[in-house]
Amino acid sequence: MPVILKINDIECSYGAIKVLNGLSFSIGSGNFTGIIGPNGSGKSTLLKSLSRVLKPSRGTVLLDKKDLYKMETQEVAKKMAVVPQETAINFPFTVKDIVIMGRSPHLGRFQNEGEKDYAVARQAMTLTGTLHLEDRAITAISGGERQRVIIAKALTQEPEIILLDEPTSHLDINHQIEILGLLQQLNREKGLTIISVFHDLNLAAQYCDSLILMKKGAIFSVGEPSKTLTVDSIKEVYGANVLIRKHPVSGKPSIVLLTRKTQTCSRNGRIHVVCGGGAGAPLLGLLTGEGYEISTGVLNAGDIDWETAKVLNIVVIDETPFLPVSEQKHMDNIKLLADIDVCILANIPFGWGNLKNLEAVSFAQSLSKPIMIIEEQDIGERDFTDGKARLLYNNLKAKGAFVVHDEAAALKQLQNLL
Amino acid sequence: MDQLNRSLQRRAIVFVLLAALGLAIILCTTIGPAGIAFTDVLAMLVRRVPLIGSLIPRGEWPANYEVIIFQMRLARVVLAALVGAGLAASGVVLQGLLVNPMADPYILGISQGAALGATVAMLSFGGTIIALGIYAVPLAAFLCGLATSIIVYHLARVGNRMQMSTLLLAGIAAGLFLSSITSYLMISSGQNAHQILFWLVGGFAGRGWDHVKILLPYILTGYFLMHLYARQMNIILLGEEPAQHLGIDVEKMKKVLLAAATLTTAAAVSVSGVIAFVGLIIPHAVRILAGPDHRVLLPASALTGAVFLVLADALARVVAAPEEIPVGIITALCGGPFFIYLLRKRNHPDF
Repeated sequence: MPVILKINDIECSYGAIKVLNGLSFSIGSGNFTGIIGPNGSGKSTLLKSLSRVLKPSRGTVLLDKKDLYKMETQEVAKKMAVVPQETAINFPFTVKDIVIMGRSPHLGRFQNEGEKDYAVARQAMTLTGTLHLEDRAITAISGGERQRVIIAKALTQEPEIILLDEPTSHLDINHQIEILGLLQQLNREKGLTIISVFHDLNLAAQYCDSLILMKKGAIFSVGEPSKTLTVDSIKEVYGANVLIRKHPVSGKPSIVLLTRKTQTCSRNGRIHVVCGGGAGAPLLGLLTGEGYEISTGVLNAGDIDWETAKVLNIVVIDETPFLPVSEQKHMDNIKLLADIDVCILANIPFGWGNLKNLEAVSFAQSLSKPIMIIEEQDIGERDFTDGKARLLYNNLKAKGAFVVHDEAAALKQLQNLL
Repeated sequence: MDQLNRSLQRRAIVFVLLAALGLAIILCTTIGPAGIAFTDVLAMLVRRVPLIGSLIPRGEWPANYEVIIFQMRLARVVLAALVGAGLAASGVVLQGLLVNPMADPYILGISQGAALGATVAMLSFGGTIIALGIYAVPLAAFLCGLATSIIVYHLARVGNRMQMSTLLLAGIAAGLFLSSITSYLMISSGQNAHQILFWLVGGFAGRGWDHVKILLPYILTGYFLMHLYARQMNIILLGEEPAQHLGIDVEKMKKVLLAAATLTTAAAVSVSGVIAFVGLIIPHAVRILAGPDHRVLLPASALTGAVFLVLADALARVVAAPEEIPVGIITALCGGPFFIYLLRKRNHPDF
């Protein structure tokens, strides 16, 4: 892949404040690159220096091996188009008027747009799905449509590179996906080089071939999303605690934010939660937030509660997917119960596969551990074991298990118990 | 076929306005105390056109009628047309560059500078003519208007860039400062105050071909420069950075256009005084009728401004005849309500 843009040790300042500090990297032709980093890390400044708006005080930017700042403005505009975050247009130009402005770099001073120019503009509008808007006023269409029109204008320049500054940050998620999908399509099918600043790390990870992660005006790391976006790099650059998972469909890294509470509280108390099928996930989150030490089991691997527990770094006794709880795992579970302070039973249905978990709760009760039951539905409606589960369940209640009706009440009760 | 229709439409609008201007000039040349018939004026004018002129027989009019028409009235009407065209075109350019609907040719302090220059000239010469003759007041007005705008431009320059928002504020501040000096001079000038006020409001009384000769080169050069950038002016409405990304040398464009608008306006003010509203309302009215494309907006505004000022000047001559009222009063009287009407009527959020 030939290099189309080469940045060589550039330094940019606004007055006395140095915003970019000795950056070097190169971008291959046909690449989809994302620039990420926290506010004030210099993302937009970098984009400005790449788009010939802010001349670096040191270093060079080479576009196709030519010094960008020694090229004519018009020459640059034939190779590079820029899509800003938002374009405020207060004049009732039609969509067609705006898109055809993209031909400007190709026209002489006294030249008006010809049939060929209109053909290019029409093609760009077709690609971006804005052809039906061509006679509408730019002031009378939605934000998502307007951004697509601006992209159509950029395509009408017939550039080799498109630079974008958070092109979707003002848009709804459906438009975000639509516009990034469009850019990806242009990148894959037309070989367009795309460089975009992203605010949203998940979008950046989804669509970019490579990411430039910036910190305080310098490059922190460059590379594939899976290499640049790690728990440690985000902790280091953004100062935020996150979890990185694989996107269930694309397999790209997907970032889960942890609430501030997850990071600060710490309470004493070991709690075992019996759950499954997603019934325990909110409780696991809440308990983690409160800072308790938590374990759970037995859960089938891949179950939603299992995933949540894994994400939250909770101790899990797990069973092979789709298999009933085996004797072995049941014993592991019971071993855990010896050391706990409270056992919580979530509002889950019982079948032959997980009946053993209910037995485990009974066992905990026999060790005189306090038992708490979250009951949202009558046990009769969620017993699929011909009454066996109901019997065990009612026994728990009869022997003094605390019954609450939601997670908040459970937390309150827990504070009384510990 | 889009572009064909569009350029045809553009030409049609300009052609119709050109015809209207011709008609307005002839019509307004007939107006005056000497009661010369429209057909006679038409015949006199056509007789001066080369080639076909000789085909028209000389009419029964007295010889001094031709002097009245050609030496006095026509010069004045042509001057009004030039000033109207210059102010309206400059208004279009400044509204576009400053992206501000309230911008007009005077917003950068040109008028207040020119007013001070003219006031000083009138006071020092006692309103009578010395070495510079009739050029004293125009020259002083022109130079002071120009000097003011140059100072304002320098105030708004940050490094190599012209900051448009600062430009606007600097213009307003300089204007207020200068007009306070003018006011003081007027108040303390006693009898001359009336003469100064008459100039300040703006009018064409007593102006002739000499003034046309002064003004014409500025209007032609200024308009030519503005028209060079008509297409680029559309693009700069997207913002300065987006315009640069479309290959436009924005700083150069701003310099050329500001210089063109400044010279045009300073020259117009120097011969006619400060005629209000033309540079503000004509661009707005034309924008609403012909759309925002500067390739139409600019010539159409210039022509509409010319027609408007020619008609307003005719009105100024007849309303209180034999007395004459300054045309600036007429333009402001017509312009204010018309502008409010346009603002109330429009249903889109642009300017």
